[in-house]
Amino acid sequence: MYTIQLLDIVTTAGILYIVALGLLIVYGVLKIINLAHGAFLVLGSYAAVIATWLDWSPWSALVIALVGGAAVGAVAEWRVLRDLYVRPLDTILATWGLNIIIVQSITLYFGREIQFAESGVTQAVSVGGVTYSLYRLILLLIAAVLGVLVWLLMRRTQIGIVAQAVIMNEELAQALGINTRLVRFVTFCLGAGLASLAGALITPLVSVHPNLGVPWLINAFMLVMVAGVSLGNLALAALILGGAQVLVSSYGNPVLGSLTIIILAVIILRFRTITT
Amino acid sequence: MRKVYGIQLLLLMLAISILAVAPVRSQQKKPVVIAIPVGLSGVNSVVAPAVVQSAQLAADELNAKGGILGQPVRVVPLDDESGPAGAVKAFNTGIRQDKADVIITMETSAARNAGAPIAERAKVPFIYTSFYEGRACGEYLFVNAWVPEQVVPPLIKFMIDEKKVKRWFAVGSDYAFGRGMIEAAKKTIKDMGGTILGEEYQPLQQSDWTAIISKIRAANPDGIIYSTSGGGPNIDFLKQLKAAGLTMPIGSLSIDELTAEAGGNAAEGVYYTGDYFTGIDNPENKSFLEAMKKKFGAELKTPNALSEQEYDGLHAYAMAVERAGSTNADAVIKVLPTVVFKGPRGSVQMNKQHHAPLPIYLAQVQADGKTRVLKNFGLIDPGDQCPKLK
Repeated sequence: MYTIQLLDIVTTAGILYIVALGLLIVYGVLKIINLAHGAFLVLGSYAAVIATWLDWSPWSALVIALVGGAAVGAVAEWRVLRDLYVRPLDTILATWGLNIIIVQSITLYFGREIQFAESGVTQAVSVGGVTYSLYRLILLLIAAVLGVLVWLLMRRTQIGIVAQAVIMNEELAQALGINTRLVRFVTFCLGAGLASLAGALITPLVSVHPNLGVPWLINAFMLVMVAGVSLGNLALAALILGGAQVLVSSYGNPVLGSLTIIILAVIILRFRTITT
Repeated sequence: MRKVYGIQLLLLMLAISILAVAPVRSQQKKPVVIAIPVGLSGVNSVVAPAVVQSAQLAADELNAKGGILGQPVRVVPLDDESGPAGAVKAFNTGIRQDKADVIITMETSAARNAGAPIAERAKVPFIYTSFYEGRACGEYLFVNAWVPEQVVPPLIKFMIDEKKVKRWFAVGSDYAFGRGMIEAAKKTIKDMGGTILGEEYQPLQQSDWTAIISKIRAANPDGIIYSTSGGGPNIDFLKQLKAAGLTMPIGSLSIDELTAEAGGNAAEGVYYTGDYFTGIDNPENKSFLEAMKKKFGAELKTPNALSEQEYDGLHAYAMAVERAGSTNADAVIKVLPTVVFKGPRGSVQMNKQHHAPLPIYLAQVQADGKTRVLKNFGLIDPGDQCPKLK
């Protein structure tokens, strides 16, 4: 029982981390909450549906999702968000509007009914004496890999270092001749692409329909509120909040469990010292 | 002068004769109006087009035979927005503006509860064609689809007798219908001497079933009975159950053919019961499906367990009007319980307190997501739904 709960906690944290990563990156650099994050998740899920239609490997959906999400993100940043950064409150309205536009477009084309998407992995494996979902373990691994990749991107590449400069002090960065506009554009595309990738990654666990993004958006939002702009904090928050949700659901019930993330987030925010 | 006067007289006589004939002609042509308030938008918008198509086919068939009592049949689909506020508007529009003779439709329970009193006050017969939680009663309200008493016990009984499931785990979505279905299942399990190892409910919005699946694994039951909300949540739960490597027999109280198919192999092996499946093997169902395909072609929405009953409803109403000899509401509701329509589901008669004993079928989802009908339990009684009605 304890082995299962341990696995439940770490894999739930891994999934939460994957889902929240794109939102965190956009929040960190652009200082806006991308409420279209849920819609990008949905886009990624439908990438898996398209891969199934084309009879491609389920893993190719990940590439379609990443590229497609980044492309839609690019258009959205260019046409909608670029001029709104000076009015942060308006970006909430704009990204929520974007969310509605993307979800409704998908509904118009695919309909509201659930769609079938092939999964690459459906079997269970034996871990420490219990059988457990292989795909959840793979997601844990992917979460770790994504974490390291994004960390390397931020620390070891030119664009990452420039992005850090923008995060720390935007005006100074601008004064030093950094093209903050380009940094924002690339970051939003990356965030949208990662959100889409997350959508494709969770597809083997859930059914694909136009509203699947909403509950994930809420959890991702809570995690980012707690974690701020740090990747390490995000992993910690996913582990604490996800773990609490699993434990409350297991020893209490899932109705209480689903409230856990929100309640804990509120408590942590109340007592957290501001570190930005 | 004389000649001109004659022509005027002739014209006048012609005019009078037209005026005199006109009302008679229009009375002969007055259509029988069937209003269909249905969720063209909102949660029911996935299934609503199929419901409207069922009605259109039935209307075509009736019109091909000369209509009802010589009057043509006209169906009026109205959007109830899948909820109570929309239903009030749709019922009022149908009754006041379109002068509906009858309302025959599939709706959410909330929409039905809002619409039924309007039909009742206006004295318009209302045939409800959706399965539901039971115990909706009214003098003018009739139901031709199942209530839990008809589908739950046969499924549990089959799993206990044939699949040897003694120790159960019950899982539901946390809302009225999900909890109601699980209550009905628990009662049957206890009556048949089975035990319930655990019972868990999941919030509607939550699509991660990890905690519940771990509890099922720890309890290690012989079988699972579950009832989520319709569509997606079935596949969420079944996909994750399968990925976790749990392979015990599963009975579903919420899956349907379209959902099972959209889930691919996620629902493989799941047992469920119902009154209509496309795979029902009888001549009426075959000709129904062929006629639907012929009429709608590429536009066809696959007939399903929420849409076929609409077709039955129109035919049963037509038979009742023919038998009563008029569309007068009181005359129609008096004979409606005596009418037997032999349709794709089998013979259906709404003679049990305005509800119908129904042929109930057992089905199983195959590896490709398609549903196979395994057996027919025969007519199952709805029990006491409205003791105050006959």
